[in-house]
Amino acid sequence: MESAVKNEFEFRQCIGLTKSTGQRARNLRELRDLISTISIDSIFHHTYQYFIKGHSLEYTNDFGHWAGECLEERALSEYLCNIDIFAFTEIDDLRAAILGQIDIYLETFPEPREALPGDEFYFNETVSFVFPIGMRVRNLAEFLMAIKHVDQGCIYYHFYLARKRLGQDSGDFAKWIKDTLKKEALAARIASIDPFMLNIENIRYDIIEFVEEEVHSDMEIMGR
Amino acid sequence: MIDQYTGIAPQGDLILVKKLCNIFRDKKFLHVNSTLAGGGVAEILVRMVPFLKDLGIDVRWEAIEGDGDFFDMTKKVHNALQGDTEIITDAMWQHHYDINKKNASTMNLEADAVIIHDPQPVPLVEYRKEGIWIWRCHIDISNPMPQVYNNVERYCRLYDASIFSVSKFAKPMDMDEFIIPPSIDPLADKNRDLTAEEVAETLAKFELPADRKMILQVSRFDRFKDPVGVIEAYRNVKKYNDCILVLAGSPATDDPEADIVLEEVKEAAGTDPDIHILMLPPFSNKDINALQRAATVVVQKSLKEGFGLTVSEAMWKGKPVVAGAVGGIPLQIEHGVTGFLVHSVHGAAFRIRQIFNNPEMARRMGEEAKEYVRNNFLITRHIRDYLGVWYSVQNKGRHILEL
Repeated sequence: MESAVKNEFEFRQCIGLTKSTGQRARNLRELRDLISTISIDSIFHHTYQYFIKGHSLEYTNDFGHWAGECLEERALSEYLCNIDIFAFTEIDDLRAAILGQIDIYLETFPEPREALPGDEFYFNETVSFVFPIGMRVRNLAEFLMAIKHVDQGCIYYHFYLARKRLGQDSGDFAKWIKDTLKKEALAARIASIDPFMLNIENIRYDIIEFVEEEVHSDMEIMGR
Repeated sequence: MIDQYTGIAPQGDLILVKKLCNIFRDKKFLHVNSTLAGGGVAEILVRMVPFLKDLGIDVRWEAIEGDGDFFDMTKKVHNALQGDTEIITDAMWQHHYDINKKNASTMNLEADAVIIHDPQPVPLVEYRKEGIWIWRCHIDISNPMPQVYNNVERYCRLYDASIFSVSKFAKPMDMDEFIIPPSIDPLADKNRDLTAEEVAETLAKFELPADRKMILQVSRFDRFKDPVGVIEAYRNVKKYNDCILVLAGSPATDDPEADIVLEEVKEAAGTDPDIHILMLPPFSNKDINALQRAATVVVQKSLKEGFGLTVSEAMWKGKPVVAGAVGGIPLQIEHGVTGFLVHSVHGAAFRIRQIFNNPEMARRMGEEAKEYVRNNFLITRHIRDYLGVWYSVQNKGRHILEL
């Protein structure tokens, strides 16, 4: 994210504190009813914030995770996990898409069983703390040093949350590399990292690899 | 003191703690629980209080004083809130209230934020003066005895917010309810790095071989921890893989069933020289640490569990853990990634064999487990969250707080 000091990238981080809504679903119909009425903040928590929780690569949101692990409804889980949450600018549109997939499932398949006691779906929300971590970089070499050491919450903020916050599909890192460093090809490579198929550490490794290649390439050009 | 955690705890947690402590500099922060020594709450507070003092918070920790009848009654309340059937008379509730009233008259309750831990001191809220009052419930009250819950809830509703360890442990109340899991202290004797010599010393003390695969379960001798099931799983494993089993527990002074269960365990173990039942005296934290580090696989085959923090303790040592999918354990173990969740003796045996026969997978799982604990279950995150709740209650209704 471009800092107040021109051209610098300032790293920020997001840390979440979970709040219970007091609502829980024991079966798919209850889940559907509650998704239709629960707060926008709760939908946000169970979708966009799934990625900060050390997410399982089997799933892409809490609803799909619950369908797979607690109801053991694999097809339903596939329906729900295939929703691209970053394709929606409004949470209510995302809510409608989730409900739509559940409805298709309910029309197509037999009624799923109830979750076992203790395995119910608990609707939560998050209070997010957003803060600068005191690290600014001016060029790609400095960026490379920083990205190796920042917390996962920092990568989450700039890679995942930026897509929702800014309504853009590239994230803060790619945006800065493209707009400020004018390295469009590198920016495109970083923007093309699939946010659903990798966990945060894998995303870090990919970014490091792409940036290292770019830095080496720049050094070779300078040495000619 | 915060510097001791640099390089161990996530950097962002330490930054946020410092930022929040700057906001709350010189503010008064009071914790009240039922004991200054023993138990998970005291273990955390004993580190948290000096940590926050160092960062400029005027923090105090008080323990409620009561007589034998009071603590007998609160033990019943504790059990009843977790679903057991207990008889608690009106006179006992009155005594509970009177003891709290007496404590309120001698305890300084003036603070900017007050956290009351568990049901013993919950009525103190009737004597609140100023500041934010938060009830921190460390137990599972999702299916309580209704009469007992109602007696506690009439005090709970006077708080500004409550905190539970896991969503499913909470009871919906008309206030903000935060979810904060417990934590381990990576610098405590139970979890700090040990030298190879220290580990060898413990093995020698208990006459355990260092050159054989070891299955370890550390837990009280309690049926809910299924120690007999662990022996069955070990026997199943032993058909295919040479190993020893270590069941390490400590004498439980407050559990009349413990001796009976211990006898059952001894009977199930029979004369097998490879089953080691260790009764560890109190304050054996360093030995437990060493046993966990020496183990090839750590088991927590619980049938019913609170949060099950021993799982995180083993994970912090980079060990693959095989554990029952109950209580808070699924929050610590992502099946197949940071450990294995099991539902039966057969499942436990199968996963132990899988770990024994795939050392590379076991190593990778242990690494993932340690990182997961680093990011989620260290005391620094716990401190961060308490300060976060305080700040959030001050900024009620806001879901994004920029600092």
